[in-house]
Amino acid sequence: MTITETTHSNIHLVALKGALDASTAATLAKNSVLSGNLPTVIDLSGVDFLDSSGLGALVGIARKKRAANSDTLLACLNTNVRKVFEITHAYRLFDIYDDPYTAAEELSKKISAL
Amino acid sequence: MTFHIDTSTGSNIGIAVLQGRLDVTNSAALLNAFPEWLQQTTSIIFDCSGLNFLDSSGLGAFVRCLRQTLDQNGDLRLAALASNVAMIFELTKAKQLFSIHPNLQDAIDSFSS
Amino acid sequence: MKTLIVIKEQNHAWVRNAFPGIHPLLLTLCNKPYIEYLIDFAILSRSEEIRIMSDGSLGEVEAYCMNGSRWGVELTYSNIRTTDDITTILQKNSRFCRDNRTMVINGFVFVDYDKESQYDSIINTMPDGVIASAENEGCLILRGQERNPDAAPAPSPPINLESIDSIESYYRISLDILKNKSSQFVLPGYGNEPECFIGRNVVISKSAEIEKPVSIGNNVQILSGTHIGPDAIVGSNVIIDKNSTVTESIVLDNTYIGEELDITGKTAFQNMLSDPGTQAVLSMEDPHLLRSTQNNGTLSALLRQITHAITALTIIILLMLPFLLIAPLLMVQGKWKKRLTDYHGAGDKKVISIATGTIPNQGVTGKLASIFSLNRYPLLFRVIKGDLSLIGNLPAAVSDNSSAPDQDNMTHYYRPAVFSYAEAENWPVIGSDAAIVERYYMVHSNPLKDIGMTMKALINLPHKNTPK
Repeated sequence: MTITETTHSNIHLVALKGALDASTAATLAKNSVLSGNLPTVIDLSGVDFLDSSGLGALVGIARKKRAANSDTLLACLNTNVRKVFEITHAYRLFDIYDDPYTAAEELSKKISAL
Repeated sequence: MTFHIDTSTGSNIGIAVLQGRLDVTNSAALLNAFPEWLQQTTSIIFDCSGLNFLDSSGLGAFVRCLRQTLDQNGDLRLAALASNVAMIFELTKAKQLFSIHPNLQDAIDSFSS
Repeated sequence: MKTLIVIKEQNHAWVRNAFPGIHPLLLTLCNKPYIEYLIDFAILSRSEEIRIMSDGSLGEVEAYCMNGSRWGVELTYSNIRTTDDITTILQKNSRFCRDNRTMVINGFVFVDYDKESQYDSIINTMPDGVIASAENEGCLILRGQERNPDAAPAPSPPINLESIDSIESYYRISLDILKNKSSQFVLPGYGNEPECFIGRNVVISKSAEIEKPVSIGNNVQILSGTHIGPDAIVGSNVIIDKNSTVTESIVLDNTYIGEELDITGKTAFQNMLSDPGTQAVLSMEDPHLLRSTQNNGTLSALLRQITHAITALTIIILLMLPFLLIAPLLMVQGKWKKRLTDYHGAGDKKVISIATGTIPNQGVTGKLASIFSLNRYPLLFRVIKGDLSLIGNLPAAVSDNSSAPDQDNMTHYYRPAVFSYAEAENWPVIGSDAAIVERYYMVHSNPLKDIGMTMKALINLPHKNTPK
């Protein structure tokens, strides 16, 4: 599982690639941007498989950022990943976009408006 | 469940006021009381304004009462059915057996015409 | 050109109350699922891609519509938050909408379109914004590339939108489609005359009368002396029993209408009858309602119990040889797995324990055991004991709350048995589909017929177990 960090519109954009499951979920916590307090867009277009531990890791990241008043936006869920979100009702917890750059732009606008 | 005779139109019309539910648990009580009422008059009205539930055993009791009344050349009419009670009549064609009136006064007047 | 269909749970919450178990987007109007009307309209507007969005679960819709190849369009799904407004939703679909004219259909609305009209011209020449609206936030919006300013505005057929916000509007819109607008839409069913739509596997008795306009779904039995129509919509998996009338009404899927009943101006769904006008609701589960003759009660029950016991004994004797030969072999092979589970008993008997066994259909012994349904053999002794009937409903497990029979009404209708009528008739064994045929036989069975049905079950079960 690879993690690529970029920025767009002054917002951290983290792209994940590979399977997000029990073996790789822990690596997310080690990433400084994901475990930090800054608002972030997580691009899941490269994630082909997600199970409950992967989902749990994402929820944990979002919760931590929420505690610091930061948003976590998700982008590009493929069919398999979306189905996991659907079955677990996790879609209620996240704002999901189909383009990571738009997500970053929206987040940026929201922050400047504050 | 109460019964009294109304003489406002000049003839004796029996009015039975039914309250609450009429179902498998208490329809027998109606069937037991009815013959006494029939002895007092053969023109009877069931005032159903307080009736909020009728199941098929209640309906069956109504039909039995009607039969007994018709045997005595009288008539049993119904007044003020709530919409859910009216549905069971519409559903089972029992509607065709009874003369159904929107309110009590209407039913009383129907015996005069 | 692309279409976004946005429907929030609050728009169709009433459907969950009025018709529990039906997904609102799959609710049928004139036997055509709601979502298909919208898909048809999007295709008519020359949309190549359609995305369905909701703040609730879309699993069932996705299972039904899949990827849209059935209609030759690309169908995708996505989730939104309840608080999202149209602007946010468009942002969340920016990639989808990019460089395209986008039409947004918002709300649980019925689009009154005509399949003969050309809608792509309106879409391309009308300005951005709301082009139609309805109650409850329903609206049709256009966004995207600027329209061609040089094009003369084409004559536009009006697009009417109506919010389906109650059982009353559902009833009115459905019958309106049937009576006045059946040529505007592609409605399911075959018929050699207009205004008459009949599905597959529909059995109509010779003495039944069908009066148009009428729409009938699939797997429907219309028994003798009935009168269907005019203005009747009958769904799928429905049985209309003898001498009943259905007029100006909608009978939804998986419903049983008993004998000698008069359904006029109503909506019937499973065991509930509703009057759209007065909002009154009646439960049709009442045993006497569904049986025109007087209930003989204890005498017929005793007769049935005796017949079932004698038949069970006969089957025990006939199958004793195969059982004694094959069962020990299976036990030695370890294929005979038994599990003791609690099930609801009949009538006032609260709970009975049944050892249920499954035998894998492999190997010579396994196949032989399946042919004779030997896993049910030990249960036959319970029939003689009186715990179970020979044929009736499949026992409902105590732990499974969803299948627990409603104690008030179902005690007349629930008869746990070794075999079920649904198995005999090769209907789907679980859920409301089974309930229909079982309810029918509860009303119509007699001890002799039961013997015949048991034989049918014994013959049909192995075929069901045979892997295809």
